[in-house]
Amino acid sequence: MSTTFPPQTLNSAARARTTKRPDRRSVLNKALVVTLLAIATAVILLPIAIIAFTAFKPATEVNAFPPTLIPAQWTLDNFARIFQELPFLRLIANSFIFAGGVTLFALLFDSLAAYALARIDFTGKRFLLIAIIASLMIPFQATLVPVYQLASDLGWVNTFAALIVPRAADAFGIFFLRQFFLSLPRDLDNAARIDGASEWRVYWNIILPNAMPAILTLGVFVFVNNWNDLLWPLIFTTDKDMGTLTSGLTLLTGPGGIVPYGVMMAGALVAILPLMAVFMFVQRRFIESVATTGLK
Amino acid sequence: MSTTINKKNLQSPRYRAPAAIGGRRNPAIGQRRKNFQALGFLVPALLILGAFTAWPMISALRLSFTDASGFGKEEWVGFENYARIFTDPVILNAVANTALYALLFTPTAVALALVLALLLNDPRLPFRGFFRTALFLPFIISLAVAAIAWTYLIDPQVGLLNYWLSSAGIRLGNVLQDPILAMPAVAFVAVWKSFGFYMVIFLAGLQEIPGSLYEAARVDGAGAWTRFRHVTMPMLSNTTAFVLIFALIAALQAFDQIYVMTGGGPYGHTETVVMQIYSAGFRKLDVGFASALSYVLLAATLLLSVIQFVFFGKREREGE
Amino acid sequence: MKKSLTIFAAIAAATLSLAACSGAGAGSENKGSKAELTFWHGYTEADGKVLNKIVDDFNASQNEVSIKVQINPWSVIDDTLLPALSSGKGPDIVAMPAERLPVYADKGAFVELDDFYRDPTSNLDKLAPAAVEMETVNGHKYGVPSGFVPLAMFYNKTLFAQAGITTPPATWDEWIATAKKLTVDADNDGIPEQFGLGLPDHATVANGVWPSLFYGNGGDIVKDGKAVVDSPENARTLKTWVDAVRNDKISPTGLDGIAGDKLFSSGKAAMYLGGPWMSSIAQESKIDFGIAAVPAGPKAQAASAIGISMAVTQQKDDSKAAAARKFFSYFMQKEQATAWSLGSGWPPLRTDIPAGAVASNPVVEALTKQAEFGRPLLPGVVNSTDVLTAVDKLTQRAVAGENIKDLLSETQASVQKVLDTK
Repeated sequence: MSTTFPPQTLNSAARARTTKRPDRRSVLNKALVVTLLAIATAVILLPIAIIAFTAFKPATEVNAFPPTLIPAQWTLDNFARIFQELPFLRLIANSFIFAGGVTLFALLFDSLAAYALARIDFTGKRFLLIAIIASLMIPFQATLVPVYQLASDLGWVNTFAALIVPRAADAFGIFFLRQFFLSLPRDLDNAARIDGASEWRVYWNIILPNAMPAILTLGVFVFVNNWNDLLWPLIFTTDKDMGTLTSGLTLLTGPGGIVPYGVMMAGALVAILPLMAVFMFVQRRFIESVATTGLK
Repeated sequence: MSTTINKKNLQSPRYRAPAAIGGRRNPAIGQRRKNFQALGFLVPALLILGAFTAWPMISALRLSFTDASGFGKEEWVGFENYARIFTDPVILNAVANTALYALLFTPTAVALALVLALLLNDPRLPFRGFFRTALFLPFIISLAVAAIAWTYLIDPQVGLLNYWLSSAGIRLGNVLQDPILAMPAVAFVAVWKSFGFYMVIFLAGLQEIPGSLYEAARVDGAGAWTRFRHVTMPMLSNTTAFVLIFALIAALQAFDQIYVMTGGGPYGHTETVVMQIYSAGFRKLDVGFASALSYVLLAATLLLSVIQFVFFGKREREGE
Repeated sequence: MKKSLTIFAAIAAATLSLAACSGAGAGSENKGSKAELTFWHGYTEADGKVLNKIVDDFNASQNEVSIKVQINPWSVIDDTLLPALSSGKGPDIVAMPAERLPVYADKGAFVELDDFYRDPTSNLDKLAPAAVEMETVNGHKYGVPSGFVPLAMFYNKTLFAQAGITTPPATWDEWIATAKKLTVDADNDGIPEQFGLGLPDHATVANGVWPSLFYGNGGDIVKDGKAVVDSPENARTLKTWVDAVRNDKISPTGLDGIAGDKLFSSGKAAMYLGGPWMSSIAQESKIDFGIAAVPAGPKAQAASAIGISMAVTQQKDDSKAAAARKFFSYFMQKEQATAWSLGSGWPPLRTDIPAGAVASNPVVEALTKQAEFGRPLLPGVVNSTDVLTAVDKLTQRAVAGENIKDLLSETQASVQKVLDTK
């Protein structure tokens, strides 16, 4: 997956060339923009900072007044509780299988469907497209019971099949990729078709490699949403060993069902870290490639 | 995502004389072949969406005409559930709140995403990579966790943000219990969580705009605003339409952070339609009513989306 | 690029086969003559371990019934029960907050237990009548209580000592006077740094704070299936407490149950109405606390009770229902009931277990002495969700300063409408 994208596009390079000497006004402008962005970023990161620091606070400090961001006394107690009370490795493995499995299938099946919707003129295409978008407009709470009944009739409750298969294709992904495929120039695939390539070849050898930024964007979207999903794994897996990290964390209740903030934040941090790792892993490809390759 | 609609239209076989591809072939046979090819690509997705989306939707539509509890007996009640929706003041209040939420969330999230994408699209911006990563980070946090963190920050007793602001002379008060401020607060948390994703989509869209268009505009002596208005906006209209529709769908289904932060309070001021659907289905076991309400939401969303499509479709044609 | 796509496809295929495998392996084995039951409950703390031990002991005590326990927080049980029931794959026994029982019972989810209550071997004849009342829906009994405890007043002994107060208040007048004394606004900015009382105005502890206050002045919310919110008694109750909160600032406004727990456990409120778990929260936060009954109102000393009910779900075969009854009988024996009380920190369910029998846990002993004041919350009210929402709106708006008379008549109308809707 590595060689197709030049680090910078022609158009942005061209744009860079046009303004030769940065005058004073533009330097000032830039400083202003950077300052504003820095302030916005600080505000935006504040909740993440509070999660990270509160996770290391002892219970007595969490509700202390005046409040502080950084713990006066650092503790690992909150994490100790999580690791003691939860089958942690099992949950994390389950989360990866669930979120990873959904992501792989959704990317494959969504891109296949999106290809047909973007490149093949079949009968009923417009209707199908509208139906796919409309299906996003019903809240999942409304269809949860019938979906569960179906999964249960198939004997899937407490299996990965129940977690993964219903989400192995999704309307948002199909629509998202279709839009992206439409923007890929037809010359690319028409040339291949003239050379006798089948639609499958065009999809696999031309469209998919060129749509990698969109595929990765969607991949992050699907992975994050499923990793963070709470109700879905709770409903389809009553067996504690089949739970995900996110659903498992709900078992950390405090007296009266109230979770101490410190423990909750430690749980949140533990749940975010693998996501961060995945995100950092793809991020160069992801934001950078989406933003810098562009499509010519 | 596609800003190249004109190009696409020209190249689409629909706009091409059939003779250009293979005039000797029978067009009906060609179409059948295409349908067959398309089916091959569509089958996996159609099977899954059919079983786990379409069928449950049909099932919910049937339930909406019954008094079903989800288990046990159910009786056909005709349009009674639908009639109840339009006469129940609690539901009508939730509808009004949802509209307000959508008005607060959708333009704010989309505009913020667009502005940041425009700023971050400049390759000469210092720390560009850092800003992009940092601004995207909220997206990987679940809305429920985000809600807990923000609630903690603005807690009237021990909230850090509250404390800092009051040190600076700004009294935030008990925001989540304030009938006027509660809704903007829960909408803000959703904006915080989701603008990063929309921003990335805008960044991708911006990259598709050929640099030559800007060159040409510059040669014509167009300033920054004119270039934005007459190059960026029209070329980005497809992306904008896409982001707007999905932001609207998300707004009309607001639930997670509101459930955590206010539970619909203070006294119903942040109660939304999906909260009512959840409460009717999972708390009152009135699955029939919950289904009916879901379909009304679907119809409303569809209507608003069509209006948006028409609006942006017009803009798009103007841009050609 | 092509290679990585192939790897991608291979992983996808592998995951699919993995999913399929686990699907095949998960079928439930046939269980011969022994009845195998699943039991969902939400006792997630130390209480859960005690309950699971009682279940284990029951499983070992005979060889006809075997119960498997599934623990999830109460809210998760409420979210997952509907889909599970809808597919016939639900638990056989389920425990839930008592005010959630009527709606499930009314929709036909649970087995009616009237015979069982009449059966002398059921060990249910010594249950407190108030606890049994919360199991009664449409004139029939659908559950067995696993917990029943009135809200109690927790007070901060350190703050009491600082103010020179030695005994907790016993009547409303004393209560308000004490609360005023314990409210401290050192910097005179109109916002006290320390509050005499944490009085939530919505989503209160087990929704019971305001019902308790209404009872104290002889009022109620629903009586015999009729809304009785709009009464002069309730109007006086609201006026008394709203004045104390708004004018004397004895409590912050806009508080909910969770925020109230935090306020007390951070030492910023001297008194608080809470559930038994408040003692562990306070201990964790190193608060030196005492427990007293909710002070007597002008008309009555009463407190809304937090209740948990266990019910048997409708299953295809009767043998499971019979097996569940067997477990309930075992659970309600004096020995198990005492062990459960001590382990859960809740008072004994049987009236023939005196406070002295649970003296080894001082919190349980203190709560047992108040057990007689407990009243079930909205027993038999099917749509308790909407009634509680209406009451929350009433109290929250009253504390925010709206006209009490108008609010009461509005709430009366909406509660009655909820009760009338079938």
